Amino acid sequence: MSFNPKKLRKTVLDMAYIGSTAHIGCAFSIIELLSVLYKSYLNYPGNNPTNKNRDYFLLSKGHGVMAQYACMRELGWLNDDSISNYFSDGSDLKGLSDSRIPGIEVTSGSLGHGLSVGVGLAMGAKIDNTKQKTYVLVGDGEINEGPIWEGAMFAAHNKLNNFMVIVDENGFQAMGRTKDIIALGSIQSKFESFGFDAITVDGHDEVAIDKAITRLWKGDNAKPKALVAKTIKGKGVHFMENDNSWHYTRLNEENYQQAVSLINDSKA
Amino acid sequence: MRKALSNTLVNLGKKDPRILLLTGDHGYSLFDDFRRECPTQYINTGIAEQNMVGVAAGLARAGFRPIVYGLSAFIPIRVLEQIKLDVAHDNLPVIFIGDGAGFVYSQLGTSHQSTEDIACSRAIPNLSVYSPSDKLELEQCLNIAYQDNSSVYLRVGKADLGDVHQMELVIKPGELVKVKSVDEGRYSFIATGSMVKTAIGVAGKLSNNIEVWSAPFIKPINRLMVEDICHNSEAIVVFEEHSKCGGLGSLISEIAATSSPVKILHIAVDDKFSEKCGSYEYLLKEHGLDLDMAHKNTLKFIEGL
Repeated sequence: MSFNPKKLRKTVLDMAYIGSTAHIGCAFSIIELLSVLYKSYLNYPGNNPTNKNRDYFLLSKGHGVMAQYACMRELGWLNDDSISNYFSDGSDLKGLSDSRIPGIEVTSGSLGHGLSVGVGLAMGAKIDNTKQKTYVLVGDGEINEGPIWEGAMFAAHNKLNNFMVIVDENGFQAMGRTKDIIALGSIQSKFESFGFDAITVDGHDEVAIDKAITRLWKGDNAKPKALVAKTIKGKGVHFMENDNSWHYTRLNEENYQQAVSLINDSKA
Repeated sequence: MRKALSNTLVNLGKKDPRILLLTGDHGYSLFDDFRRECPTQYINTGIAEQNMVGVAAGLARAGFRPIVYGLSAFIPIRVLEQIKLDVAHDNLPVIFIGDGAGFVYSQLGTSHQSTEDIACSRAIPNLSVYSPSDKLELEQCLNIAYQDNSSVYLRVGKADLGDVHQMELVIKPGELVKVKSVDEGRYSFIATGSMVKTAIGVAGKLSNNIEVWSAPFIKPINRLMVEDICHNSEAIVVFEEHSKCGGLGSLISEIAATSSPVKILHIAVDDKFSEKCGSYEYLLKEHGLDLDMAHKNTLKFIEGL
């Protein structure tokens, strides 16, 4: 299996084109984050997405689910047919996360749900004294939602140092720039003030992401962890980058081919 | 009834260490026994109901058996989407106890009153809805909810009205329970929760040809039993401390309309909020649910048949 970001982005483009779907930009900003997590951190004994001793990964920003599908294809949990039949009548994979798909832990798209569910999973692992870790990936727009902060307080109070929230800080939400809608200031400081250990990192630098996650887990304390990833919405295809219309725009044959070429020609 | 709730929670907690009781900072002395008997199974999640339900979903996914307690104005109403998406969508074994349903918190006003919770919860797939009328039904509903191993909303209303059932009996999931028998029934009253006693009271004031049924299970309900009751009755009166929109009366009407059409009077809350402050009995009067008004309206209905 390969979690090469180029390959993952190509899968996302294929799905988006086949299904004529939106949310391409939301998926592209988290490609490197998912690549590092699936490659180096998430433990699925026997490569079984439902093994009861697995680590938990919850994509709370369900709008990026095509990036997760791309990784699940690499793991062999999704076959090529499910990619090539994306959005066809009677198919399983939806435009937002559905927990009935093995490997997806939370039904998302309505935002602000995944963090609390992840906190519950982490608390369960604590009570049972297992080594399982829980990762919840949220969007920066998503942290407008109140339950994110309810869950953050609860995680810190209960010293859930087996829990990590990853914030995809791409600077955009559905209707525009986060700074113009609900300015967030320093997300790292916010989580620190809520009792987390937090690091900010370039969310497209796999080496930096890897080091930051390791450093957070090595932190010798009882705090939950927060990784704030500075990302670019639409990363990888320059005409999509930081152009929020790709939250909504569907691909036509011309810009699909153009996007594929740009990804094929890119260095990473 | 509250003692029965506490005792049943303690018994379940001691029997199954995977049971975790979650409260959003509500319950006060109700959990004294549980906290003493099962101290590691009690979690006060703070005043954050949405997070509490998400945490319960995560715990259920990790193999625990969460019981989530709150006032019914908050559980299920405030957290309806968390119940729908995080719990019921995957039929996770979480029991939601919504206490103080109806007008129990009469003097506190609209924020603490809930007359829409049955309607909202019964429209969520996978979610069972139970509404016991006294301590016997409560204990058995809670035990059945535990055995269900699925998502359940348990509605607990006015708790100090006394017992409906004077002797021990075993209630079966989905079934209505006859609480007043007659030799030849002409009319049937079907009631749930706090209004079962009112239905018995109204029947006692009217004639001796009225059967009274308690419906502790709103969903799933034994449809054949309801069809039989409708089929064998000249008219039906449904009593509930809940909105006329979407509650037990709606459910009985839906079943009757499909299979056994019969005239149905609905003694329930009109589509409006409470206006005034006052005692529980005062608010029942304001909404026409006190014994006198229920009796007058039922009499008028029967005379007009």
